[in-house]
Amino acid sequence: MQAEAIALIRLDLLFESISGVIAMIIAFYATKAYNLTEQKRLSDLSTGFLVLSIGMFSHVIGTWYFYVRLGLEVPIPELATTMTVVTLTYHFLQIMAYLLFVLSTRRGGRVKQPEMAMLMALPILIDVDLELITIFVMLVVVLQALLNYALVRSRFALYVLGGFFLIFLSHIFLITAEENVFRYLVSQALQLLGFLTLLLMVYKVGRME
Amino acid sequence: MSRKRAYRSKMRILADMMRAIQSEGEEGAGPTKILYAANLSHDRLTQYLDELVEKELVKEAGDGESNRVYHLTEKGRDFLREFVKMEKFSEAFGIDI
Repeated sequence: MQAEAIALIRLDLLFESISGVIAMIIAFYATKAYNLTEQKRLSDLSTGFLVLSIGMFSHVIGTWYFYVRLGLEVPIPELATTMTVVTLTYHFLQIMAYLLFVLSTRRGGRVKQPEMAMLMALPILIDVDLELITIFVMLVVVLQALLNYALVRSRFALYVLGGFFLIFLSHIFLITAEENVFRYLVSQALQLLGFLTLLLMVYKVGRME
Repeated sequence: MSRKRAYRSKMRILADMMRAIQSEGEEGAGPTKILYAANLSHDRLTQYLDELVEKELVKEAGDGESNRVYHLTEKGRDFLREFVKMEKFSEAFGIDI
């Protein structure tokens, strides 16, 4: 039973690691675009993907260390607390990243610094379930991507919409997973698919003549 | 639904000028054509053309004010190709450049 659980965790970590690498590739590409165009929003977008990948890698390392290296169901309470901190940090970084997506991809004028700081402090200011905040922020990202696709009608914008929608869907599955391992894995697979869709967009843009 | 572009970055203006030059092919583009295609004032056009020549993205040919034409250099073509990719990438996320 324990071996089966570890195998599932390893699969989960593999999905998350690939997603993290893709997030880093997109951050790199957005930085490249920023250097060429000097558009500040691209820098915000890049920071968003970078923060997301850092969150993912910290989650992967934490999960691997506590559940795989030290074994399942560690009876030491200090370790359980540390794992909770790792998970909370991961959620926090995820929300930060999604907020940066909201700010960088929103239409209209540039967001003023105080407004941005207020939004970034949202997870601290509001004492509710972090996953609910994540879903709400991601929903805004998806709606903005939908609006953008309706305006530009390009296949690249469609890939971005598809990618963000799959990531949003992965959070919906995650919140309904509770103790259901299968739903949790589906959630991670959806997240990976979302990042692969975004990677496909970057690949297709890179191959343009 | 039409998109209103309120502000064009300097990089975008330079890219628009280079696109205007590229569209004229081997013959090259004169200042008036570039001015209209990139929607610029005369002063801005002169300033940006000097910058493009200085950065070796564009080369000047022909003698005299009236015969002057501009061609894209290899470096200019590479820059424009890369810029278009970044433009598409940004547009996909709803970011105007």
